[in-house]
Amino acid sequence: PLFAIELLTFYFSAKRTVDLSTHLAKVSAELNLANPPGGAGPAGAFLLALEPGLEPRLAYLGVQVKGEEEEENTLEVRETKVKGKSGKFFTVKLPSPLVPGAKIRVSVEMVFTHVLQPYPTHITQAEKQFVVFEGNHYFYSPYPTKTQTTRVKLASRNIESYTKLGNPSRSEDMLEYGPFKDIPPYSQDTLKVHYENNSPFLTITSMTRVIEVSHWGNIAVEETVDLKHTGAVLKGPFSRYDYQRQPDSGISSVKSFKTILPAAAQDVYYRDEIGNISTSHLLILDDSVEMEIRPRFPLFGGWKTHYIIGYNLPSYEYLYNLGDQYALKMRFVDHVFDEQVTDSLTVKIILPEGAKNIHVDSPYEINRAADELHYTYLDTFGRPVIVAHKNNMVEQHIQDVVVHYTFNKILMLQEPLLVVGAFYILFFTVIIYVRLDFSITKDPAAEARMKVACITEQVLTLVNKRLGLYRHFDEAVNKYKQSRDISTLNSGKKTLETEHKVLTSEIASLQSKLKTEGSDLCDKVSEIQKLDSQVKELVLKSSVEAERLVAGKLKKDTYIENEKLHSNKRQELVTKIDNILDAL
Amino acid sequence: MAEHSGPDSGKHKANHANANSAALLHGRAGAGTGAGGLSGGLSQPAGWQSLLSFTILFLAWLAGFSSRLFAVIRFESIIHEFDPWFNYRSTHHLASHGFYEFLNWFDERAWYPLGRIVGGTVYPGLMVTAGLIHWILNMLNITVHIRDVCVFLAPVFSGLTAISTFLLTRELWNQGAGLLAACFIAIVPGYISRSVAGSFDNEGIAIFALQFTYYLWVKSVKTGSVFWTICCCLSYFYMVSAWGGYVFIINLIPLHVFVLLLMQRYSRRVYIAYSTFYIVGLILSMQIPFVGFQPIRTSEHMAAAGVFALLQAYAFLQYLRDRLTKQEFQTLFFLGVSLAAGIVFLSVIYLTYTGDFANWWGVYAKIHIPIIASVSEHQPTTWVSFFFDLHILVCTFPAGLWFCIKNINDERVFVALYAISAVYFAGVMVRLMLTLTPVVCMLSAIAFSNVFEHYLGDDMKRENPPVEDSSDEDDKRNPGNLYDKAGKVRKHVSEQEKTEEGLGPNIKSIVTMLMLMLLMMFAVHCTWVTSNAYSSPSVVLASYNHDGTRNILDDFREAYYWLRQNTDEHARVMSWWDYGYQIAGMANRTTLVDNNTWNNSHIALVGKAMSSNETAAYEIMRSLDVDYVLIIFGGVIGYSGDDINKFLWMVRIAEGEHPKDIRESDYFTPQGEFRVDKAGSPTLLNCLMYKMSYYRFGEMQLDFRTPPGFDRTRNAEIGNKDIKFKHLEEAFTSEHWLVRIYKVKKLDNRETLDHKPRVTNIVPKQKYLSKKTAKRKRGYIKNKLTLKKGKRPNRKTV
Repeated sequence: PLFAIELLTFYFSAKRTVDLSTHLAKVSAELNLANPPGGAGPAGAFLLALEPGLEPRLAYLGVQVKGEEEEENTLEVRETKVKGKSGKFFTVKLPSPLVPGAKIRVSVEMVFTHVLQPYPTHITQAEKQFVVFEGNHYFYSPYPTKTQTTRVKLASRNIESYTKLGNPSRSEDMLEYGPFKDIPPYSQDTLKVHYENNSPFLTITSMTRVIEVSHWGNIAVEETVDLKHTGAVLKGPFSRYDYQRQPDSGISSVKSFKTILPAAAQDVYYRDEIGNISTSHLLILDDSVEMEIRPRFPLFGGWKTHYIIGYNLPSYEYLYNLGDQYALKMRFVDHVFDEQVTDSLTVKIILPEGAKNIHVDSPYEINRAADELHYTYLDTFGRPVIVAHKNNMVEQHIQDVVVHYTFNKILMLQEPLLVVGAFYILFFTVIIYVRLDFSITKDPAAEARMKVACITEQVLTLVNKRLGLYRHFDEAVNKYKQSRDISTLNSGKKTLETEHKVLTSEIASLQSKLKTEGSDLCDKVSEIQKLDSQVKELVLKSSVEAERLVAGKLKKDTYIENEKLHSNKRQELVTKIDNILDAL
Repeated sequence: MAEHSGPDSGKHKANHANANSAALLHGRAGAGTGAGGLSGGLSQPAGWQSLLSFTILFLAWLAGFSSRLFAVIRFESIIHEFDPWFNYRSTHHLASHGFYEFLNWFDERAWYPLGRIVGGTVYPGLMVTAGLIHWILNMLNITVHIRDVCVFLAPVFSGLTAISTFLLTRELWNQGAGLLAACFIAIVPGYISRSVAGSFDNEGIAIFALQFTYYLWVKSVKTGSVFWTICCCLSYFYMVSAWGGYVFIINLIPLHVFVLLLMQRYSRRVYIAYSTFYIVGLILSMQIPFVGFQPIRTSEHMAAAGVFALLQAYAFLQYLRDRLTKQEFQTLFFLGVSLAAGIVFLSVIYLTYTGDFANWWGVYAKIHIPIIASVSEHQPTTWVSFFFDLHILVCTFPAGLWFCIKNINDERVFVALYAISAVYFAGVMVRLMLTLTPVVCMLSAIAFSNVFEHYLGDDMKRENPPVEDSSDEDDKRNPGNLYDKAGKVRKHVSEQEKTEEGLGPNIKSIVTMLMLMLLMMFAVHCTWVTSNAYSSPSVVLASYNHDGTRNILDDFREAYYWLRQNTDEHARVMSWWDYGYQIAGMANRTTLVDNNTWNNSHIALVGKAMSSNETAAYEIMRSLDVDYVLIIFGGVIGYSGDDINKFLWMVRIAEGEHPKDIRESDYFTPQGEFRVDKAGSPTLLNCLMYKMSYYRFGEMQLDFRTPPGFDRTRNAEIGNKDIKFKHLEEAFTSEHWLVRIYKVKKLDNRETLDHKPRVTNIVPKQKYLSKKTAKRKRGYIKNKLTLKKGKRPNRKTV
């Protein structure tokens, strides 16, 4: 099940550096491999081993070849098992088979999490944090090694104790063991260092990263983070006074950290269940967006917090397509803080509604859970959600994952059409409702009343119009008086007569209609008609008088007197009509 | 309309009648924009009119909504203050657990160790409304967080309030006044104070329910139709479910009916409306668990019942009068009256005796209980706040009231009573300013609308002499008369010209300008007040530097969130009751007392713990299982609303229940001052609250001009700088020391003794032991132990 290439025994020389300056144990080893001359043949792969104590805490393992031209090639690593031995084993495939007698230099990088144990486990605010590391003096290898050195880098020069195998040399914050010669395979000897380490022991205990892809040009990313300070637990009181006044008080606590977001990140938010966390700063750099995140309170040992950070990205930077084939290339996990440790990560990638043939290419092994459906704005059958988990991750896992899927572009129209349709239906129902009568009972009385009201309304307009006619005629008379042109008067009279006739007849017809409705308003209308005929008489009379005045048959004084009389009478009649109209 | 029996006294009345007849005309349409919008498209004035009113209402809604967003824009979408946090928490519970779970919710996080039956002790209307909106939105896949629904609920409802005010004013006066009233209520500070975004409180939706109920009531009195009355009852039911202020409705409506009876305005319509309303409304209101049987047991509801009985009797007498002779009627009348009086008298005596009316007489004594008096909302209103909240409206609304009384009819009687009672209540309590605001808006709108109709309308007419034959066109040119119905305008021209000949165009334009300027100043004032006074979340504080940059002091949330994340899930937090809801909402921890101040003795116990010395307080805290104590301390930044400033209320409330242990006078200097410096009373300087507030503060020097331990809030150097705790330990203090949390230590495994152990008993032994060497001592004990050990296994095996 391996590489189908024979594994051979090698001779090793190993130079190992264990970096304990942070809360991680980063082991990097430079290995010189050699296929012993006179061996069985060319070897295509070699075996790497991890000692049983550290093996469950391994977060990352990477092997590279150090070529002569400084270029580095990452080698393919697969986990395997060796009979009769505990611990973890990996086979590493070499770029080209190694013939007997040839040599190659590879560098191995391993990162272990939670291997530095705080000791004492509880400290007060004023105390410093000490941690213990337990490892192996030797490079744990399935092969015999010729020479080995181990160098341990610590966080500070303040070392409480350390194992002294082979009388290691100590300088500043560095311990150097070895060189050890001719070590047999699977040698183990406990290396133990107890030293001061105040670096932030921050751990992301769980994190959910949601990536929502929209084909309208946006990718929304939201990360829900549970943080915990996994260093020595704070014992006793937390004094804000000391924390503010003494610089070395709470030295192992975490006040803030930096999160680096993609350069195109926009609309960044940082909040939790109870609202926005106002203690953060955003710095936009050329190649990234740097966010200084300050939790609401400083994190002391054992304290935890929880927050949500989210931002938008333009999709053209991450979404590629060829026809209906789409590929989303995004980081599986992104930077939260330097030297980050994520105990458990859930990634949810929400693809647009209607995405099919989903295929995920991941740079490392991830646990896919069953796909889910997500419903949000204007969704009808739900968006497919890819769910993936991974535990125990470090910075080296910030790598791209590629999601391939197909999406029919016509589906883009679905959502706008849905809105249009909804509005159409809304307006249509309103139109229907307004135009049609949905009352379950017909009230004949109300119906009749309404009809009558409608007719009276018409009568009102007509009467008003008719009264307007008189005014028009008055104007014509005045004009005639000034211009002495009989034709204006005559034409005015004619229009008055004709229009008056029309209006009167219309009113009469309405009156008869009222009568058929059985309304008593009919009488009032007839009264109006009567009054109106009087008005008309008056008007005509005054016009005749005016004619006579113009013709010189009447003196001006008498005309004015008569006119005054007429107008008074008219006014009276009009007010009477108005009153009747009001009563209507 | 039948009530228009008096002489037609002018244009307004006529307009009103017209509006009514027009409403009748369009009655069939009924729906839509409320203005009978279908009598033809835009070619007809009614079409324009409905479009215009629709637009104005929409803009009023928009303006009201957006002016309530100051806090959201300046800070964030967050729940404000104290009570809204409880409402939010229960809405959250409703949204995540369902309605029945909410009704049955027993909240063990409040009032430890008593707990609280939330479903039965809240007005659920608010939560149900928000939950329903959230549910509907989520049904439509609109994924809005329940918090945002809660934050924006009040601004949205302010739009509905504007519309219902429009409807009510239209019923009372005319459409023009209605539109003005809608605009007023949309932006008036008196209402904004309770309905800014984030102020998720009962009042936010209750004012809408109030106005809408009144609208439907006026409608049912006008029409006498059971349909409208049932609508009114439903709206009343909603109001009952939303706010305790429903009592205002159930007293005002009977009062209206009663006054109508007195004014000889009884009619069948009133009878139908009130009988239906009382019975259906009563039954509906009793469906709310929190209200339960109160409507038939408490004094606040008795007026309604009395008026109901009176109305029945009155109607019965009316009926009889038609059937009987005068003589018979009189005898019957006196007999009936004396019988009724006797029954009422006996029943009151009986009920008082059995104690059902126990709270009859003590209602208003409530005000003298310290816990109620300590709430700033319950203080009497000052004159300034009338002007501050209502501005010009407070001056113009009497004019509107006068217009209403001058042209009285059934519904105007109602609004007059509404105005008078609301003014009275607003004078009693600041909080009730809220019920005054809508009626002030309506009456001012009537006044303004009236003035404009006179001065603006006629002025326009003068410029456009009515030469057209078509009165429709005339109407269009007359914005002042825009609200009148079509076809009836021209005939008034002649009248108006006669009556208002005396007013020159100059005066008219001056008056119009003046009015417009007043309105403009009103709008400016409203915006200013909203922005400055009513838009602070109070959970987040902001301070401004000299250069205008803003510092956000987020200490409350810092501390609450610390509690939420870093204490045991079942930890019990003791604090003064003001912070109970916030602790429950933000920190999600158990509290001892909270803003639902139903249990005075429990609060007094907390007050006693705060005002006792540490040892006595420790005993109380042990007995209450307290894990943490949270206090607010403003001395570092000069925040005046902190616990030391509230401390006297704690003392007073504690004294009310424990007069032997706590005496208010002990906390004052002999001169009767409350001082925190060296001259302060020793009781104060050693009480728990003082020690917790100033722990380690004595070492802190804030700036070079002041000595260490200088309290910026009270401008004094503290008197007790050497504060040591024995049973408490500082657990957390926020960045600006605003919130301090102390941990109550558990009892030590071994009791450390303050005094020397008594020696009398052990005198011979001690002498004996002291001479022993270590070896002999060991042997001695060993012997004893083996002796005991030897016995026990024997017994067991046998």
